[in-house]
Order: sequence, then C-alpha cells, then structure tokens
Amino acid sequence: MFNGKLSLFSHTQPLENKIDLFHDKLLDAAMNFKKAIRIYLKEKRSDDYKKINKQIKQIEHDADNLRRDIEAKLYTQNLIPDLRADVLNLVENLDKVINKFDEVVYEFYIEQPDIPEEYHMRFKEICDLSSECAENLSIASRAFFRDFSSVRDFSQKVYFIEHESDVSSGHLKQAIFDSELPLANKLQLNNLTSEIAEIADIAEDCVDELLIFTIKRDI
Amino acid sequence: MDLSYFIFLSSGLFLGWSLGANDAANIFGTAVGTKMVKFRTAAIISSIFIILGAVITGSGASQTLSSLGAVNALPGAFMVALAAAITIYWMVQLGLPVSTSQAIVGAIIGWNIYSNRPTELGVLSQIVGTWVICPVLSGIIAILLYYLIRYRLKKSKIHILRRDTYTRIGLVLVGAFGAYALGANNIANVMGVFVDSSPFQPLRLGSSFTLNSTQVLFLIGGIAISVGVFTYSHKVMSTVGNNLMSMSPVVAWIAVFSQALVLFLFASQGLKNFLTIHGLPSLPLVPVSSSQAIIGAVIGIGLAKGGHEVHWGLLGHIALGWVATPIIATLLCFVSLFFLENVFNLTVYLP
Repeated sequence: MFNGKLSLFSHTQPLENKIDLFHDKLLDAAMNFKKAIRIYLKEKRSDDYKKINKQIKQIEHDADNLRRDIEAKLYTQNLIPDLRADVLNLVENLDKVINKFDEVVYEFYIEQPDIPEEYHMRFKEICDLSSECAENLSIASRAFFRDFSSVRDFSQKVYFIEHESDVSSGHLKQAIFDSELPLANKLQLNNLTSEIAEIADIAEDCVDELLIFTIKRDI
Repeated sequence: MDLSYFIFLSSGLFLGWSLGANDAANIFGTAVGTKMVKFRTAAIISSIFIILGAVITGSGASQTLSSLGAVNALPGAFMVALAAAITIYWMVQLGLPVSTSQAIVGAIIGWNIYSNRPTELGVLSQIVGTWVICPVLSGIIAILLYYLIRYRLKKSKIHILRRDTYTRIGLVLVGAFGAYALGANNIANVMGVFVDSSPFQPLRLGSSFTLNSTQVLFLIGGIAISVGVFTYSHKVMSTVGNNLMSMSPVVAWIAVFSQALVLFLFASQGLKNFLTIHGLPSLPLVPVSSSQAIIGAVIGIGLAKGGHEVHWGLLGHIALGWVATPIIATLLCFVSLFFLENVFNLTVYLP
C-alpha cells in the first residue's frame, strides 16, 4: 500500500518538496534581511555585512533556480492544468519579494548611506514590518497548496502589517525632511525608506492575487 | 443473413455513430478540455466500456422500448431509426437541444400510429416521467456529492499536486463507469427497434461466454457508437467543452459521476432486482438522455455554489427537448413510413 502510494506520487513528491523549499527561501530572505539591516546600522559595510549580502544573493539565486524548475516541471509533466497559470503567477510574485530583499541589501552595500543614530529605531521598525509581511505571505502561500481555508487569515495579517509599514515609513520620511541633514542625504534616506517599504507593498500585491487564486482553487 | 439487413441496419448504425460523437463529450468533455485526460485515453476507455455496457447490461432499457412499440418489420425499424437520426441532425442544425432517447421514442410512436397500434399510455407516461426524474435525480446526487467532496477536501488538507493526481484517476474511473452506463442505457435507442427483427445467431466467445442474438446486435451498435467516439467526439469535446458552466476538474468528476449513476440506475436489471429484493424504491429501465442528466448535475452543483453561475436558460432547453424532439420525430417517422410503404413498396409493419 505504502509503495503503491509512493509510486502514485513519485512525480509529484519532488515538486511538492521544491515548492516547499521555495517558500523556505522566502522566509530565509526575510530573516537575513532583518539581520543585514541591523548589521549595517551597527557596523556599516563591514565584513559581516558583505557576508550576509552574499548570503542573500545566494538565496535569491537558489530561489530563481527553484522557480524555473517548478515552472518547467508543471508544464512538462502537465500538472494541475486548471491551476497551473495561477501557481506560476504566485511563484513569480513570491520571487519578486525575494528579489526586492536582495536589491535593498545591495543598495545599502553600494550607497553606504550615513544614517544618524536617532533614525535607527525607525529603520529597524520598517525593516521588521517588511520582513513580517513577507513571512506571513510565505505562510499564506504555503496554505494555498494544502489548506486554503487559512489563506485568508494570513492574508489579513499581511494587509494589517503593510498598513503599519506605510504609517511607519511616512513618519520616518517626515522626520528625515524635518531634520537639518543636507538635502542630498535626505533624498538618499528617503529613497532607501521607500525601497524598504516597497517590500511590504509587493507582498500586499501578492496577497491580493493569492486571494483570487484561492477563490478559483475552491471546487 | 443477406446484405439488405445491413442496409436496413445502417440507420441504426448512423444513430449510434451520432450518439458516440455527441454523448462521449458528456463523459470526457471537461476532462479532455481541461487537459486532465488525453483524448486518445478517453476515446479508448469510452469505446471499451460503451461496448461492455451495451452487451452486458443493455437489454433492460431495450425491453421497455419494445413494450412501447414492437417494431416487427425490418424496413419499419430502419425508418424509425432514420427518422430519429434525421430529427437529431435537423435539431442540431437549428441549434436546438436534442436527445437520442426522446427522438427514438417519438419515432416509435410515429410507427405505432402508422401501423394502427395503440401506444401503451402506461409505458409512455413511465418513459416521459423518467425524462423529468432523470435531470432532477442527477441534480440531487450532484448536490450531495458536491457537499461531501468539498467537506472532505477541506478536512484532508491535501496538497494540490496530489489532489490533481487523485482527480485524474477519478476522472478516468468515472469516465469508464459513465461510458459503461451510457452503453447500457442508450444502446436501446440505437439498436432497440431492430431487436425484434434481429437475424443474428448466438456467438460463442471462447468456451465459457456466449452472446445471444440481441447481444450480438448490441455489440454491433456498441461498435458504431465507438466509431462515433473516435471519429467525431474530439471535435464536439473541444467546441462544447465548458459551455454549461465553467467547471473545475473536481466539479466535472462530480457531474459525470452523478450522470453515470443516474444512467446506470435506469439501465441495470441487476440493480433494479437488488433494490426490489431489499424493499427499496427502484426505477424503471428506460433510455434517458445523458445530456439532460449532465445538465441536471451541473445545475445542481451551480445551486450548491449559490446559484450565481447557473444558466437558467438551460432549463428551458431541457423542457423544449422534451416537447419538440418527440413531436418532430413522430411526424417525420409517420410521413417517411408512408413513403417507404407506398413509393418503395416495402413492408413497414407486420399485421
């Protein structure tokens, strides 16, 4: 019986694992992003920061490979023809979030912005909120594959956190422009704030689509 | 047996061909349309199981048609089948809904009127009653199945890739059952009128199986249906596809299973005996419309989903099919029998 079951799902089991692994990559990227920004605020472009930047690059690279693999397998093995397009969209959307984490960490690496200490707390806060958005997106998306009734719960969390992120980034931007910093510095910090907040925005867009996919997934 | 028999049988074979071309789409249409099952696989399974259903279980519904009108002359049987086939062709051309069962019943009544035989009103009302019961019953079964499957899927938290595998297996199994039920129930439409004039000798298959004369006739009819499946149903499947309601593969499974179950209930003598012995209500063995059974199932599922997706016009289509098809077939058969007898000098009924 067990062997029969194993061979029945022999071609879907590896793909199931790859989809799970892809979601793990999103969580890894979110965790490492949080860590990276903290390292930067403490040590700027130190060796540790370079190392974590490389790690996130590797995660992004692995996620790209997994995404291509998942897409190819779904088509070559003609799996879930009715939901395939939605799954591909979903995986590509999640990949956009991972890419954005990598992009922001790399921008910090290239630009090496001077961030006055009084803004560190706010920066950490919006980084945490963006990471949390991605984490909840990952859980919601994982639920789409197994337990779609809980997609809505985690999606709601993403919406809530994204709103918090908007409010927080707005306050940070206001504080930056109210300060005596040189205009160039203000503009640079404003841009980086927007980039970090955009992670939450992308996660929200993903959830919007995910909820539509979930409605379609119901029989 | 001379060649003329096959010439007369040709109208029945044509009817079988058109049944295969049209009704296989009810069984495997969505599965093939959504690429869950390859057409080749669907066609092979349909053909095998339609023939098995026709030969093994086909006689029950055929007896009911015989009791409506025992067409006792071969040219008469030819014209009854041809009138039904032309009615179907004509109504398809006009874009009207059509059912082989209703066309053949109309044509038999036309033969009864022409040959001055009384139509058994009891049998007729039983047959017409099943036309109404068939989609309703199919709808009720579909609603129950829909809620059950939905509940099970939510509880099981199964990965969509595994669900996909199970659904494919389910579609193939239910397709085989649907094809068997279609063969069992609808062979009466195709070959029923030729039973009384069948010239075939029993056919021995190996040492333990023997097909009687009627079963040989049904085997030929089953093959005609299979040819229809192979040669034309792909086209029907790709054009008809999801025109009833956009269906997910799981919903398609429910609809086909409900339809197959209803067709089987109206075809299986064994099941009828079993239900009767156990004091359960049984259904008369009557050829019913597989298209109307699936429409009933789809409407049932649509209602279970809240009723927003249901095309209510379909109900009007079914009702139109009940009335228009038999009337046209009756008139056409009556006029054609007159020509066959008076112009071609053929005996269309024996006194």
